[in-house]
Amino acid sequence: MIKGLKIMLVMVELELRRLRHDRTELYFRAVQPILWIVIYGPVMSSVRAIPTGEVPYTDFITPGIMIQTTTFVSIFYGLMMVWERDSGILKKLLVTPASRYSVVIGRSMASGVRALFQALIILPVALIIGVHFIHNPVYFVLAFTIIFLASGGFAAISILIASFMKTRERFLGLGQAIIMPLFFASNALYPTQIMPPLLREISTFNPLSYVVDAVRGLLITGDLSNLLMDLASITIFDAISFILASISFRRIIE
Amino acid sequence: MELAVQTKGLVKVYGGKVRALDKVDLTVDAGTSFALLGPNGAGKTTLMRILTTQIRPTAGEARVFGLDVVRQGSKVRRLISYVPQEMSVWTDISGYENLLIYAKIFGIPRHERRKVIDEVLENMGLTGVQNEPVSTYSGGMIRRLEIACAMLIKPKIIFLDEPTIGLDPAARKVVWESLQVFKREYGVTIFFNTHYMDEADQYADNIAIINQGKIVARGTAEELKHSLGGEIITITFEKGIFKPDIAQEFRKSSYVKDVIVEEEGLNVIVSDAESTLPYLINILRENGVPIGRVSITRPTLDDVFLKFVGTRIVEKGRISDVKHMRDMIRKG
Ligand SMILES: Nc1ncnc2c1ncn2[C@@H]1O[C@H](COP(=O)(O)OP(=O)(O)OP(=O)(O)O)[C@@H](O)[C@H]1O
Ligand SMILES: [Mg+2]
Repeated sequence: MIKGLKIMLVMVELELRRLRHDRTELYFRAVQPILWIVIYGPVMSSVRAIPTGEVPYTDFITPGIMIQTTTFVSIFYGLMMVWERDSGILKKLLVTPASRYSVVIGRSMASGVRALFQALIILPVALIIGVHFIHNPVYFVLAFTIIFLASGGFAAISILIASFMKTRERFLGLGQAIIMPLFFASNALYPTQIMPPLLREISTFNPLSYVVDAVRGLLITGDLSNLLMDLASITIFDAISFILASISFRRIIE
Repeated sequence: MELAVQTKGLVKVYGGKVRALDKVDLTVDAGTSFALLGPNGAGKTTLMRILTTQIRPTAGEARVFGLDVVRQGSKVRRLISYVPQEMSVWTDISGYENLLIYAKIFGIPRHERRKVIDEVLENMGLTGVQNEPVSTYSGGMIRRLEIACAMLIKPKIIFLDEPTIGLDPAARKVVWESLQVFKREYGVTIFFNTHYMDEADQYADNIAIINQGKIVARGTAEELKHSLGGEIITITFEKGIFKPDIAQEFRKSSYVKDVIVEEEGLNVIVSDAESTLPYLINILRENGVPIGRVSITRPTLDDVFLKFVGTRIVEKGRISDVKHMRDMIRKG
């Protein structure tokens, strides 16, 4: 158990070292979310098409956009797994005494760390254009912990997919096919109340909705009425994705 | 003597079609070095991947130091280290960082890490570039880093899948000298795949030749060479007049042990070349075949390989291996 934890920390350390050497990907991936917040947000809020109550529209979508970006990072983490599988990296890693579950959870957490940085990059831009955050360090830390944990869960899903996909191209295709529906069938851009009933049903099974709800409550609205429910959903989602990914991981090098 | 590796009737069929291993029986004594020699696609990697618990055999069983690789996989993994055939280091961090990450994965205590890492860097001649990102390394440097990684711990057995692909002769020598020391000082068993004859000849206590999933010959290099008989008479013919049927004539003689037909001539294996040669020349005269050149040699491992596998290994492999490795790095 302690050994497993150590391996997970080593995997996180690996990711931090990579980030220290090369952060260009982090910057490139920040372009798109910044466009959403800087252009899409203000434009939509000027037409007042989407009812968001007291909260300005740009403020409303900021957590959603952050989480969309971090989910992107996580879902495509599996692409790195495919590359490591095609080279000898995973073969070597899986022949060490490190247990498979600790490698899977460790790499997922590593992706969570990368996602965390990705979310933090967006923060100053949001502040500059006047998004109003709740001034409470505890809320802030909790929000980013949630982002970290949820990204880990999505990364595990991505590793799960990677263990089935034999080529990068197929992985890319499937990744694209998952990510946009996940985003649009969530409360990231609009409140679930205004969704058509069917979509609203779907969004209740969408882990992204719970993450957005929790982070939006903690950073923007201060509405924490669903927080426990959100946390429980995210925990269950993480547990399921870690277990499935660990089980299928030995397939990845076969 | 303790057995480091033991397989019985090992079969591996990929996707119901490709029979990569076909009833392989093999033993390797602990503390020795063992070479699995074979052409491309012979099944070398497949065998190594089964022994290192990565894939399951279709039938038969395999043990590493008495442990079953399927049922006791996690115990096996605590005894071994492994260098895969493909590139296996992270290229976006430095060589030192790669070793540090693995030192931690192997659970080397904090106070020993620096010393162990310095030692393997030194052995593989990488001390000067340890802090450079691996993406700036040459193919040969990457290979040495990978071997350094496998030498961080003192395993009971080290599996090396074509350890010296992409290395120039000087670097190959450095790597092998260091592996020899490793074996001598710590009693580490060395199991390596290769398609370089000279490497098997020089560094393996025992050799098995594998072809199309079957072990076709095994023994020490000397035994294998002896198995061919005494000497080899190589006859090359003048351009365009080589008649392969002449081999049949030779085979009829009781002095001739075997005849291996090559593109431009024949290798005739005999126990005593001096007394047999006039006789062979006579046969050629009678058949009206003009001779280009004749030479007499003692058998090399190449000849053994040629006999059991049917083709020589062409050196072009090496260049394409290096190219492959470079491509992988660029992709990453
Ligand atoms: N994962 C796989 N799926 C399907 N077929 C495979 C797989 N791995 C290997 N094979 C096939 O099994 C046979 C043996 O391959 P293997 O890689 O073991 O040979 P090798 O001796 O290591 O060759 P090389 O010198 O090229 O590395 C080949 O025909 C190969 O195409
Ligand atoms: Mg191979």
